[in-house]
Formats: sequence, C-alpha cells, structure tokens
Amino acid sequence: MGTGRNVERRTILKAAGASAAAVGLAATAGCGGSGAGDGTVTIRYSWWGAEERAQKINKTIALFEKKYPKIKVKTDFQTYASFWEKFQTQAAGGNPPDVFQNAVTFLRKYDKRGILLDLKSQVEAGNLSLDHFRAGVTKVGEVDGKQLGVPVGSNTMALVIDKKVFEKAGVEPHAGWTWDDYFKALKTIHDRTKVAGDTGYFSIMYLYDLYLRQNGKAFYTDDGLGFDKADLTEWWTDGYNRVKAGIVTDPKVVAQDFPKSSLSAGHGASEFTWDNFTVRYSAEGDSTYGLAPIPTMDGKHTGQYLASLMLSASARTAHPKEVAQFIDFMVHDPEVGKIMGYDRGILASTEQYSAYRPTDAVNKEIAQYEDDTAKAGVLGTITPHPSGADTIEAAFLRIGGDLGQGKTKVADAVKQFFTESEAAFQA
Amino acid sequence: MGPAVTLVKDSPPAARKPRSAVSATTGRRPGRRRENLAGYLFMSPWIAGFLLLTAGPMAASLYFAFTDYNLFNTPKWVGFDNFTKMFHDPRWQKSVEVTAKYVVIGTPLKLLLALGVAMLLAQSRRGQAFYRAAFYAPSLIGASVSVGFVWRSLFSDGAIVDRTQSVFGWHVGGWVGNADWVLYCLVALTVWQFGAPMVIFLAGLKQVPRELYEAAEMDGAGPLRRFWNITLPMISPVLFFNVLLETIHSFQIFGSAYVVSNGTCGPADATLVYTCYLYEQGFKNAQMGFAAAMAWMLLLAVALVTAVLFWSQKKWVHYEEGAR
Repeated sequence: MGTGRNVERRTILKAAGASAAAVGLAATAGCGGSGAGDGTVTIRYSWWGAEERAQKINKTIALFEKKYPKIKVKTDFQTYASFWEKFQTQAAGGNPPDVFQNAVTFLRKYDKRGILLDLKSQVEAGNLSLDHFRAGVTKVGEVDGKQLGVPVGSNTMALVIDKKVFEKAGVEPHAGWTWDDYFKALKTIHDRTKVAGDTGYFSIMYLYDLYLRQNGKAFYTDDGLGFDKADLTEWWTDGYNRVKAGIVTDPKVVAQDFPKSSLSAGHGASEFTWDNFTVRYSAEGDSTYGLAPIPTMDGKHTGQYLASLMLSASARTAHPKEVAQFIDFMVHDPEVGKIMGYDRGILASTEQYSAYRPTDAVNKEIAQYEDDTAKAGVLGTITPHPSGADTIEAAFLRIGGDLGQGKTKVADAVKQFFTESEAAFQA
Repeated sequence: MGPAVTLVKDSPPAARKPRSAVSATTGRRPGRRRENLAGYLFMSPWIAGFLLLTAGPMAASLYFAFTDYNLFNTPKWVGFDNFTKMFHDPRWQKSVEVTAKYVVIGTPLKLLLALGVAMLLAQSRRGQAFYRAAFYAPSLIGASVSVGFVWRSLFSDGAIVDRTQSVFGWHVGGWVGNADWVLYCLVALTVWQFGAPMVIFLAGLKQVPRELYEAAEMDGAGPLRRFWNITLPMISPVLFFNVLLETIHSFQIFGSAYVVSNGTCGPADATLVYTCYLYEQGFKNAQMGFAAAMAWMLLLAVALVTAVLFWSQKKWVHYEEGAR
C-alpha cells in the first residue's frame, strides 16, 4: 500500500468534506425557508387526488400567486390513503402543511390532537369570508363550536350505475325505491347480463350509515358506534349471502381491480359512493355512468346529507393570515370555480357555483342529482365523526372484504370489528 | 468460511482506513493522542450517524414498546400491556402465521434453486459469464417497487400466469386477488431472486478440491454419492451462511407484500406479513407503542432462530482445517 498513501489520505479528506457538506445541507433543508427577507411568504399546500386534480389545482395556484405576488405556494399531493399516512407523520413531527384538503372523518381526530386552526379568528379579522355559501354547506366544517374547515365542494352519497348494463337488463331505478326493489334489480341484472349487480355495498361505512339513519340510528354517536352487534350481524349475513348468490361482485375480483373500482372495470353494474365520483369513473372506465337514488325503507327517507371536501389550516402555521387569504381565494374566486368544476363536489360558494355551468353530460347529471335530492327534502344534517372514524372506515371495508372472501365467519367478523373500533376510539 | 466472509461488508471502509494509514506514517508516542483524536474526528460522521440514527431510535423504540403512544400524546407507561394485547390479537397471530409460512416455504425453495443452478454453472462451458450475470440480475432489481408492480400484473386474472395455467385446465382466476394463492406469488418473487445465494454457492463450489472427486470416482462413487459425501460437506459452511442470511432476510419481507397487495396486505389478510401489520399499526393507526412492541418481538424471534441455527451447525457444518 506504500504508494497509495497520499492518494488515500486525499480521498479520505474528500470523503470527510463531503459528509460535512451533507450534514450542512440537511441542516438548511430542515429550516425550509418560509419567510424570505423581501417579505415574500411561502405556504405549503397538500391534498389527495389524482394527476387530473393536480393539474387543475396548479392552474388555480397560478391565479392566486398572480393576485398575491408576495405569497408563494408549495404543493404536494398523494392518493387518499398515502396522503393521510404522510399527514399523520408530518403532524406528529410538528410539521404539517400550512393548508390542506380535509374531510369530515378527520375533523375531530386532528382537533383532539391540536393540529387544526380554528378559522373563526381569521373570519373575524376579515381575512376569510364565510358569506355567500350555498345553504348549510359551511356547517360541515363546524365542529364543537369551532370552524375547522371551509368547504370547497359538497357531495352526497349516491348509487353510481353503469347505464349500459342497466339498460340492457331493462332495469330502471326510481326515486323512493326500496331495498327490496334494489336487490330484486340486482338479481335481474345478474340473470340477464351475467354481470354482478353491485360491487360490495355491505363493507361501505357511509352506505351503512345511510341505512342506519333510515332506521332511526346512525353509524356514529358523538363518541362511539351507533349500532350494536345484532344490527351488524344481520347486515353482513345478508351481504355474504348476496356474494354467494353472485349478485354482488366476488371480493377476489374487487381485490384485483383495486385501486380501480370494479364498477369502472366492468365487474359490477352499480356502486354506492359519492356522487362526484362519476367524474373519476367516466375517465377510468369504458361505459357510461349515471346516478341513481339511494334505496329506502319507507319509500321516502334516504338518510342522505351533504358532506364535503374542505380546506383546513394547521394550528402551527407561521402565516395564519396568508393561509386564510389563500383559503378565501380558493373558495370564492369565480375563475377558480370554473377551473375546478365539480371535481371536489358541487362548488360550495355561490360565486363559484354560478360561475361554473357544466357543459358535459357527467357534470350536468351531478348538478341535477344534487338539485333533485335537495328538492326531495331528504337531506338531513351530518353527524360529525368521532376521533378514530378513519381507522374504523378502513376496518369496516377490510373485514367486510375478508367476510366476502369466505375467510371469516360473520360472528367472528362482527366481533373483530367491534374490538378494532374500541381500540380506534381510544387511540 | 473463506468465500462467505469476503462478501460481508458491514463496516464502511472509510471508518477503518484512516487508523492504519495514519499509524503507518508516524509511529511516535507523543503524537499518538492527537492522531487518535484525528482518527475519531474522521470517524465522527459515522459515529454521529450511529448514535443519532441507530442507537438513539432503538433505545426510544424499546421505551415506546412499554407505553401507550399514538405519536401525539406523551407516552404513558403500560408495562407489558402491548405484549399481552399482541398475543390476544387475532390479526397479530395471522401475521405470524403468514410470515412463518413465507419463510418456511420460500427460503428452502430459493436455496435449492440457487444450489442447483450454481452446480450447473460450476462446470466450465461457453458463455458462462453471461449465464452468471443473467441469473444474478433478478437479485439486483427484485427488491424494487416496479418489479412488485410487474409481479402484480403477471399474476392477475387473465394475465400470463393465469392463462398458462388455464391451458392445463387449472383456472384460479389470478393469484393476486385469491386469498389462498397470493402468498405463493410472493414466494415466487423471492425464489426468482436466487442469484445472490447462487453466487455464494458458486464460490464455495469452486473451492472444493478436484482431487477429492477424482479419488471418489476412482473408488466407484456415483454422482449422487459424490454430491452427498463430498460436495455437501465441503460447502456446508457456505450453505450455513446462506441459510442464515436468507432466513433472516425472509423474516423482514415488506416491500413485495406491500406493493403486490397494493398497500392493503390483503386480500383477506393473506399477505399480512409481520412487517406489514407493524406498519399498519404504527403508521396508519398510529399505535406506535404497539408497533414498537411488535418490532422487538420480531427481533427476539429472529435472534432465537439465529441462535438455533448456530447451535445446530455443530451437527452438520463441516470446517476443513487444511483445505486452504
């Protein structure tokens, strides 16, 4: 090694220098300069969604930065599940995004953990206006006397159907139809087209909530579950029997289609989900998708309510004023409404609602659906979800799937769900 | 275990080199302390990294394992609660079952294939270098996320594996969505990456003295006999090393299960390997105390298996004294 000594020493010095530089870099990156010397402020904005939504949002941000040249917006997006995993870690580390997309399931959870900014103070300071919203929409972001989110769009649960399959089977959904009608329809569809009628209604938390509401209960109370083991046993037993009968899509197929929906993959003729999802399914699938009414117990009450996607702010933000201005712009600016359309639900503020007139069939039908639902007078008020609801929603879906695959008996599945719920509420 | 040792690269060379280089230049006593200091200084990035990124977090995780901690609260001491909860949790039991199945089926298959191919490649033939590289390649890319996606598509309903199977009248409708089959899809993925142990076997095989085979052949020993009585004992240190490494490695499976199941560890928890459940509890459900307890349980289990393997090597691993 005699000759290599000098070279070696030089290499080591270089290596040492490089690692010192790396440490230095890491240190500066950690500070993430949010306030430059010239008064420019940078805020971080995160949301969940797909590429299509990202493109629209980026356009709206360009508009915002033009109007507020002193505020720069740094963005970041993931799919729904990944978004919340990342958000939780960021929030726990004291570094959540300044402003982010939010939904009712997460309000109490993150309020309890002190992450959400009560926007009331910003409303009072005049940086954010809660006027000019469609009736009752802002209520969704109001929990326990605080304004934890401002809605960008409202949506409601619906039955999304594959119109071509329904037509082929000669089945026509109508307002006020009952569950019996619905399940008969599924059977007709399966008999005549060989396609399963539904993609797995019995593991969707939001649908079971509607069913319970029709029966004078609800999925959640303020701090727990609003139903008992006997209720769920009945719901899941029926569900499993319908999978076996072939009128509900085989969960094996659903698992393979995921993350695509089995409806847009052509493996089911209908799916209970949010009404604005027809936008996604129309992009994803080959058929034509439409909206049908939620089946009822009594021919009238659907149990529906308006939910929404919201913008919330971090209680830790160093720039609450700028964040409030950002939210205000995003919910009220008519141009933003024109760009976003019904991607995140029917536009919530009246300025945006009247600025955007849907021209394509899909968006027109969503507007029509919410209009009809509102006129039918079936919309109730939302019950804010207790902390832990997100974990419970995932457990409901997963255990329902296990059950459908025949891997768990109904009694065990119900027991497992109640145990996991208990843990989620306590977490 | 000559050939094996050369492949273990645990301490970064930068950490070792300065000492020898410096002490070789000047051996005088007065400068010794300063040189030591310089040595430690050069090592400091690594030492700091070890303390901050390995030792510190490990100590913290040991503490969290005995607390109720959801990332946001101050950890609350709960003694062995997390462990008792774990043993009574049907999903934890399921994750142990799935992992054990994966280790017990996947590791032997992978090693058998690695040894078989290594024996074929040990003979001299044309294009040998090409074959070695070709068989080794999957080991380099196998752990990547994109290969996970490829795997998922290969084993889906109507994809190539399913269609090939169907030709033989054996239709399962894709492995990925089928709770009874999906684990074998992961096993296939790990077996496919047999290249790394193969290279080690190959090195071991090359070390077996030719004379032994010649002598045995003279005495009338058939190929099977030669394999059993010469090859196997001679490469047993390498075999031991491979068994150890692959077993430990298998216990830690995460990426492929996560990607092939699209982050669900399903269907019906069929790919809920241990680390997947740990991840779900820790990062989805924010049960960090529970997740930390799970991690330490895994460490204990792996340590136990390793200990058993080391204990057993006395019985079957053969170290030739004068072979080198």
